[in-house]
Amino acid sequence: MSNVSAPPVSARGTLGVDTPKGPAQALLQRRGLAKLLLLAVAAAVLVPLLAAKYGAAWPHALTVDVSGPLGKTSDWIINNRDSHWLFVYFLGHLSNAVVISVRAVYLLLLALGWTGVTIGMTLLAWRVAGLRIAATALISFLVSGLLGMWVPTMQTLALMVVAVAVSVVVGALLGLAAGLSERLFRILRPVLDTMQVLPAFAYLLPVVLVFGIGVPAALLATVIYAAPPMARLTALGLRGADPNVLEAVSSLGATGRQRLVTARLPLARKELLLGVNQTIMMALSMVVIASMIGAAGLGDRVYQALASVDVGAALAAAIPIVLLAIVMDRTTAAAGERLGADAPATGPAWLRGWLPWAGVAVVTAVFAGLGRMSGSLVWPDAWALDIAHPVNHFKEWMVDHLYSGVPVIGGTADWAAHFTNWVLNPLRDGLTALPWYGTLLIVAALAWLIGTWRTAVTAVLAMAAIGVLGVWKPSMNTLSQVLAALVVTLVLGFGIGILAAGSKRLESVLRPVLDVMQTMPQFVYLIPVVALFAVGRAPAVAAAVVYALPAVIRITTQGLRQVDPAAVESARSLGATRWQMLRQVQLPLARPALLLAVNQGVVLVLAVVIIGGLVGGGALGYDVVTGLATGDLGLGLVAGVAIVCLGLMLDRVTQPTERRTTGKGA
Amino acid sequence: MATTSAGASEIPNARTPKDGSAAPESDGREVVFSVRHLWKVFGPKADRIPEDSSVTDLSAQELREKTGCVAAVRDVSFDVHKGEVFVVMGLSGSGKSTLVRCLTRLIEPTSGELEMDGEDVRAMDRTALRELRRRRAAMVFQHFGLLPHRSVVDNVGYGLEIQGVGKTERRKKAGEIVDKVGLAGLEKRRPGQLSGGQQQRVGLARALAVDPEVLLFDEPFSALDPLIRRDMQEEVVRLHREEGRTMVFITHDLAEALRVGDRIALMRDGQIVQLGTPEEIVGSPADDYVRDFVRDVPREQVLTVRRAMRPVEDGEADQGPALGPDTLISDAIEAVARSGGAVRIVDDGRCVGIVDHACLLNVVARVDGPQHGEVAA
Repeated sequence: MSNVSAPPVSARGTLGVDTPKGPAQALLQRRGLAKLLLLAVAAAVLVPLLAAKYGAAWPHALTVDVSGPLGKTSDWIINNRDSHWLFVYFLGHLSNAVVISVRAVYLLLLALGWTGVTIGMTLLAWRVAGLRIAATALISFLVSGLLGMWVPTMQTLALMVVAVAVSVVVGALLGLAAGLSERLFRILRPVLDTMQVLPAFAYLLPVVLVFGIGVPAALLATVIYAAPPMARLTALGLRGADPNVLEAVSSLGATGRQRLVTARLPLARKELLLGVNQTIMMALSMVVIASMIGAAGLGDRVYQALASVDVGAALAAAIPIVLLAIVMDRTTAAAGERLGADAPATGPAWLRGWLPWAGVAVVTAVFAGLGRMSGSLVWPDAWALDIAHPVNHFKEWMVDHLYSGVPVIGGTADWAAHFTNWVLNPLRDGLTALPWYGTLLIVAALAWLIGTWRTAVTAVLAMAAIGVLGVWKPSMNTLSQVLAALVVTLVLGFGIGILAAGSKRLESVLRPVLDVMQTMPQFVYLIPVVALFAVGRAPAVAAAVVYALPAVIRITTQGLRQVDPAAVESARSLGATRWQMLRQVQLPLARPALLLAVNQGVVLVLAVVIIGGLVGGGALGYDVVTGLATGDLGLGLVAGVAIVCLGLMLDRVTQPTERRTTGKGA
Repeated sequence: MATTSAGASEIPNARTPKDGSAAPESDGREVVFSVRHLWKVFGPKADRIPEDSSVTDLSAQELREKTGCVAAVRDVSFDVHKGEVFVVMGLSGSGKSTLVRCLTRLIEPTSGELEMDGEDVRAMDRTALRELRRRRAAMVFQHFGLLPHRSVVDNVGYGLEIQGVGKTERRKKAGEIVDKVGLAGLEKRRPGQLSGGQQQRVGLARALAVDPEVLLFDEPFSALDPLIRRDMQEEVVRLHREEGRTMVFITHDLAEALRVGDRIALMRDGQIVQLGTPEEIVGSPADDYVRDFVRDVPREQVLTVRRAMRPVEDGEADQGPALGPDTLISDAIEAVARSGGAVRIVDDGRCVGIVDHACLLNVVARVDGPQHGEVAA
């Protein structure tokens, strides 16, 4: 069937990227026209044939039922988990090591007690990031305790410590190899690029298949999700080292190892620390989601609370997650800036060297001892604040007063219902009713127009794979939610982005808000939308919009700000109005940034729409959740693969050519 | 060969070997670098180009069209003598930076012979080559190439660290060198906190710290402001005067070449078009390209009275003030103006010629035609 979906391969596949700007645009349009014509001809020939043979719905003849074989595989694994050598001698040890190390860290954290952990973390943040962030850390841990979330916080922290350590080591080693070997870099780069666009949910099922539900599976999923940015940035950092410095180092007769240790690695330290920062943020996001496959801790509390729509309990667990995210992000980012600065360390002599670290350890130990002597290792219950009940009261008040019947504007539940009835349903029905070959043709046309024929082929194949797996209908449902969320995100994001680019004041107000929003794990976004809109598809879309919005706003603002000031100035000197300038100079020149914003928007929206399966979003995300909940791994795995395909397709369709200079691995 | 080696062998210059053979020069000075028929070709099947006599004569553009290769260095031969400042000058793209990198094989030459102190550099294995780079030839770069995360003193000591010298000794030696290049008091700074001129002093100090036999400079001052550049040039001249270290100096700036160079090799399209002392280059350009190049040079500041003097006429041999034959024209002008008449040129107590207003003016006004014609013919 792939010969059907693949667009005809034309000799003029590559765009004249290097031709000068003016004619290039005309050429691009003409090329685009030529591509469309080619596709139209292909469609005119193929569509009647396919329509006659198969009809509009995805044909049964082209579907492969994989649930049988998958179920058998899963059964085999379950039956052989204790006997087969692969498990006994390799995976078994792996999972034991994971369990033991997570347990060890957890016990250590408990042994330090809440006094030791709080003081230790505060001092650590102070040492690497300064006073302000230390204060944030202190408050965060105290709040976690106050909310009665001390033990889950420690569970999450223990998992995080191990997951981040493993991810950083694995990622750094991969990145090191790819940074030193051109060949490996070429192979690894498209893989890492693709892994970064896949929703977290896609990784859950495969690890569960191998390890079963539990801590090892959760940790492994986290590592798979969080290691790629470390690998990617390490490789890029090593490759981006100033060639002048490297030449000078060679000219002094340095060996390969000396070059690496004294020049390349130190020169890449900024990227390495950025990699650690990103890995930590991704790991936190995943550790929370991995509560669905056996990770205890804060994520699990949120998950349980969401399952019973207990917004108050969910919020009590979500606040420590957000605080943890902010502390970890700010600490590593500040450490990166400090280490990355070329200035020597400042401050009095007693604050440098190993001595202050020893001081941190001693003070932590003292506080841990104090806590132990006073007999309060775990945060005392008497000091815990119950916010779940007041929050739930407030939520009930909202249900009564805001959900519907508010004069003039209606209510939030009404809005959600309207959105579902007037936007999501028609869109879903339209997509489902659209003949499958029509969908493939649209995908091909879009991907080919924006990218190359390679991206088009990948996109169409991914889409066709969804049909082959027999999940066309739920995928169209997911797709309709993604499209609706994307449109809303782009309208809001471009609008706010354009305003922020024009007004310094708005940008300075937005910046801290966006900073916080971008550090929060995906899971957390579900809680407020559930509170506002109850469950269903509309809240899932709303969460997706809120999650993707910061990135879109930020990329738009930056893109507009970076437009060549000479062009803007010359337009102004010609007497262009603000609107003319925006429409004729800034937006066209910022086109690459806007395309990138679309691409990022799609990827982020998809990630949350899938997670929306937890709050009634249905479709593929729900299949994964059901698969996990009922142990029907076949169902979940197929949905997971479909998510991967959908992610690939959406990424390729929105991927401008510029990002893919080599044209490989499309 | 007669035509292909034109760059080196037909240069009207008494000091280069006339036949381009590998025999060291016989004027008694030790040769540090001996380069013979060196080629560096970039492109597909680059190693075939130097041997293929059907393409070696082509111009750079024809070569590129025909073979897809670029010959950055084409059949270059020269010697660098111990203790001299050997300048390679040319416009950007003339192959001078490639040439200097070939000397320590930072860029691998395509063909030709390359010796340092009589040792075949091209035959060296990695260890020997590393030793050469560590102790015998150190390089100063246009863009400094400093390690941004290290302090000045650690950057200066970096070469010693690579050699495996211990920390205390390294610091001590680096400290001395830092003082020597005028950076005292800035030891703890990072390169990012220094001005361009100071950064290049660090680069120079790093090269000096390993006490190399030869210093290689690749357009070291091109990125600096004119005034700073002047300072740095004087610094190099001073260092050379104090230590007498051999230097190979790459530049695109003629004034700089004339200021620091004992001998200058002028490169164009990968070939040496003329090799000689500053006076020879300015006074007797080998072809129109060189003539064009040196047109704006204030000749009185480069040429000596040797070029300006006329034969002694009767009765002049022991009258009036005397000057040495290596006096610059500009100084002679002053002497002639003070004395109001002719000045004798005395070499070893013997009067070898006379300069007067007319002779000096002829040189400044470039109408010293006959001599020029003789040499260039």
